[in-house]
Amino acid sequence: MVLPPVAVIAVFIGFPVVAAIAYTLGRAGGPNSVVASLGQRQFIVQKGVTFDAYRDILSNPTIHRDLWATVWVTIVVTLVVVAVSWAIALYLRLTDSWLARTISALSVVPLFIPVVIASYAILVFYASDGFIKTVAYHLGFHGFPTLGYTLTCVTLGEIWVNIPFGVLMMSSGLNGVPNNLIEAARDSGATMPRVVRSILLPMNVIPTVIVATFTAIYVLGSFTVPYLTGPTAPNLLGPSMANFFNSFNQPQQAEVLAIVVFVLALGIGAVYVWANVRTGRRSGLQS
Amino acid sequence: MSATDIGLDLQHVSKDLGGRTIVDDLQLDVRTGELTCLLGPSGCGKTTTLRMIGGFLVPDRGRVLISGQDVTTLSPDKRPTAMVFQNYALWPHMTVFKNVAFGLRLRKLPKAEVKERVEGVLDLVGLTHHVHSYPARISGGEQQRVALARALVLEPKVLLLDEPLSNLDAKLRVRVREDIREIQQRIGITTVFVTHDQDEALSISDRIAVMSGGKVEQYADARSLYREPATTFVAGFVGTMNTYEATVVPGGVALAGDLVVPCGDLSATGDGVWEVGVRPEDVRVSLDDAGAAADVLREVPRGHYKELVLRAGPHELRAFVGSDLPPADRVSISFARALLYRDGVLHRSATPVPAHS
Repeated sequence: MVLPPVAVIAVFIGFPVVAAIAYTLGRAGGPNSVVASLGQRQFIVQKGVTFDAYRDILSNPTIHRDLWATVWVTIVVTLVVVAVSWAIALYLRLTDSWLARTISALSVVPLFIPVVIASYAILVFYASDGFIKTVAYHLGFHGFPTLGYTLTCVTLGEIWVNIPFGVLMMSSGLNGVPNNLIEAARDSGATMPRVVRSILLPMNVIPTVIVATFTAIYVLGSFTVPYLTGPTAPNLLGPSMANFFNSFNQPQQAEVLAIVVFVLALGIGAVYVWANVRTGRRSGLQS
Repeated sequence: MSATDIGLDLQHVSKDLGGRTIVDDLQLDVRTGELTCLLGPSGCGKTTTLRMIGGFLVPDRGRVLISGQDVTTLSPDKRPTAMVFQNYALWPHMTVFKNVAFGLRLRKLPKAEVKERVEGVLDLVGLTHHVHSYPARISGGEQQRVALARALVLEPKVLLLDEPLSNLDAKLRVRVREDIREIQQRIGITTVFVTHDQDEALSISDRIAVMSGGKVEQYADARSLYREPATTFVAGFVGTMNTYEATVVPGGVALAGDLVVPCGDLSATGDGVWEVGVRPEDVRVSLDDAGAAADVLREVPRGHYKELVLRAGPHELRAFVGSDLPPADRVSISFARALLYRDGVLHRSATPVPAHS
């Protein structure tokens, strides 16, 4: 039963991944022979492996700046998305009003707008001749900074793109907390802030971890938003990878960057697995 | 009864939900240390009443008094009540100890006192071996007792139980309800217990309020409720009752079809058509010709007694008889005792019996 999907994954994902890792370690034969015959600035060995491609990339000051930009944007976006999603989901969970229903509907709108369209819209909104700058100018703030083509614009764009997923996940988690658990806490003497802290927050750990990890992984590997709204340099690793692959014709370096992003994502994924196992143990699902 | 003897007093309480009156001008007093059951079918307003006592709903009209203090508008966290929820509502991320200690920690009691009180109440409910277990790892009966311990540890003036046994299997339900009664009597706490199970209500209550349509139909002790149901609703809801339209004749009652059944004790006399209620154990069955003739349709063994399904004229009735009665196709019946109702209300000696006794 599981053989066909496993075989498909092995052939179409597993094998290319192994070939790419081998290429970054200097092995240019077999499936890597075509790309190696076209690429520039390659570090190839006939026997064993070499980490020269990694040394080349990791000693590059431009990549250092891109790496730090990626890490910082990822951290800021993740924190803001988690906080805003939590706030909206909590308001929706505890309130049943027209305002809550309106916010609930509006919060998922970005989900239905293609990222390319949204990126251009965000860019126009924050550009030097955009809406924000125009309003600021009319209000007398003539020196208001232009946010278009900056990492701030990338951060705002990534937040905009990730909020719907965050709100949906958090709302789903909070709606899964039965009312009687909240009422039991109120009955024991807890105020609403205390109910949030002692009941809703711990019971919504898994959705929170999912939102945080998935948002972080998405931002780490994102391309469209930073490519369209971000600066030339430093920018996120996604556009950098594209530059190395397309503009510089250095596929080995592009794949090294992909491995670096993968390792970062792996660390974030480990947090997700740890949180799941921990919650599973408490709920008696695993021993 | 003095005001201080009343632990809980509901005065003309009403609640409308979704444009419908769920609880309608309800009056109920529970004596201090008494266990009162709110008994009734689904939708009769018993849980809504309990939620108003607990502060989860605010009455639209009327007042809720606990030990004489008006708590009508107080939120749950400010009331001297504690509730045991139908699904226990244990917090799954906390151990048994933390679940029980939660309310005490909110009150900022010293750690040593929290530990002492939690261990004391877990000892009371027999759960000291599960102090560090998570709720998902203990049985349903144990979860129920944790919920009870969590409520009791706060030493509330009124303990509220919302169908706490409905998720347990039949055997466990009997054992846990006896445990609850034993603990309630030991600490003498005023308790309101919501259930739709009449066996549960009859076996553990000091008094039972039978509810229908948001009102109390009858509020009495278990024996009175069973022996003298004040309305036909109570008569039909609590236990089994044979009911017929009949007129009173000398020595008995005349049912439709000119069937005269001798009756030893009639609750009232008078002309006209009555609704007559007879408990199955009050149907006397014999093999002689002393009473009205009846055919035996079915015989159902019930252990130390048996239930007979009989047909007398156009009427079907049920009788509980001793297991030693020999099998027969045709028997003679009479009523040891019959209750007479008019307009759904019990009449005793020509006067209606008040619903609140």
